[in-house]
Amino acid sequence: MTTLIDRYVFTVLRRVPEQQRSDIERELRTSIDDAVDARVGAGAAHDTAVEQTLTELGDPDRLADGYADRPRYLIGPAVYPAWKRLITMLLSVVLPIVVLLTVVVRALGDATFGEVVGSAVTTILTVGAHMAFWSTLTFALLERGGVTRAGLPRRPWTLDDLPRYEPGFLTPAQLWSMIIWPVLLIAALVLQQFTFTSEPVLDPANWSFWWPYLIAVLIFEALYAVWLSRRGAWSRTVTVVNAALAVLSAGPIVWLAATERFFNPAWLATLSWDGADPLRWLTGIVIVIAVAGALYDIAEVAVRAERSRRGLPTAVPGSEPLV
Amino acid sequence: MVSDMTMDATLTGHLQELRRGTVVVASLTVLREPGYGYSLLETLSAAGFEVEANTLYPLLRRLEAQGLLTSEWNTDEARPRKFYRTTEQGDAIAAALRGEWARLDRAIGDLDTPAGTESGSDL
Repeated sequence: MTTLIDRYVFTVLRRVPEQQRSDIERELRTSIDDAVDARVGAGAAHDTAVEQTLTELGDPDRLADGYADRPRYLIGPAVYPAWKRLITMLLSVVLPIVVLLTVVVRALGDATFGEVVGSAVTTILTVGAHMAFWSTLTFALLERGGVTRAGLPRRPWTLDDLPRYEPGFLTPAQLWSMIIWPVLLIAALVLQQFTFTSEPVLDPANWSFWWPYLIAVLIFEALYAVWLSRRGAWSRTVTVVNAALAVLSAGPIVWLAATERFFNPAWLATLSWDGADPLRWLTGIVIVIAVAGALYDIAEVAVRAERSRRGLPTAVPGSEPLV
Repeated sequence: MVSDMTMDATLTGHLQELRRGTVVVASLTVLREPGYGYSLLETLSAAGFEVEANTLYPLLRRLEAQGLLTSEWNTDEARPRKFYRTTEQGDAIAAALRGEWARLDRAIGDLDTPAGTESGSDL
């Protein structure tokens, strides 16, 4: 029959490396016996003494973690910053891209509106869970493998890493996103003619003028970003140039959509949205996105330029608004 | 308004933080004379160190793995016991830790000295 002490000792040993077990068992049993004898010597009944001693020793799993020198956490302070950066990047950058691609591929296929929404939700849940799980698992293994902060590829922090909080200054990330966005749109515009779908999505008739024109405007958008970062300051000129580019790109898109010359009729014919008229919906979506995007862009730059002109500092995130 | 309960919890947390590490110095100092787990536990609690068995026993093995303690099974008595003894290296480290402890004690004492005896008192 196993005694209470046996059960306690076995439970500890269960989670201790095998080669240490016999030594730990001998020592732990002696220590327990010593403590029990001390209590019995002080006048306690034997069973009570055992119960009190084991209760005082506490959770056997905790004791085993102590013997095995195992951390009682999944991801420790050394690797936590790197884990957090990775998770943030995956969920805020990679996940949206994956979802967007899924939605585009599904929408260009024969999916109904409901199916597209469904696949977006499924992608967010499954891909998001996979990203969180696998990166957390990797870091937990690194933690147990004894990787220290020094072992992680990480350059030391310097004063240059401080944000500038100056009106008009573009961070490298902002500059790159302003350049990459037009480049991606140009790539999408050209590629949709050849890949993605059996019929091109956009009306091929517009290759005679409007699509090349849009590519030219997008190239100007990228050049504008470079010009803006070189200039290093927002001003009324910037507002005007930005507004002109916004109108030059959104205007023709809205006009083409409104006159039903934006989408390829042959591609529209391949769509079968039960009940809904694809042309009407897609036209509405394109016009809303183009107008709202242009207005937001114009307003944002105008506000920044005005703040900069009046010498108002940009608000520091998390602080009271500066008036 | 912070409740008394929270203050107690805060104090407990800070005390734990302050005491962390003192058990190592105390154990290395006591074990210059060989001792086994339970005897060390008794000595430490009699000396006023609030240390629990489930922290002390794993700690002894860790210190042994670091070469600060050596151990030997003594089977002369009816109950065989694992006796630990501080190594030369462990003694040197304990001396360094005690020196640091004394320095911190002086430094804290200086900070706590009543105003007027310090040059910074006119601030």
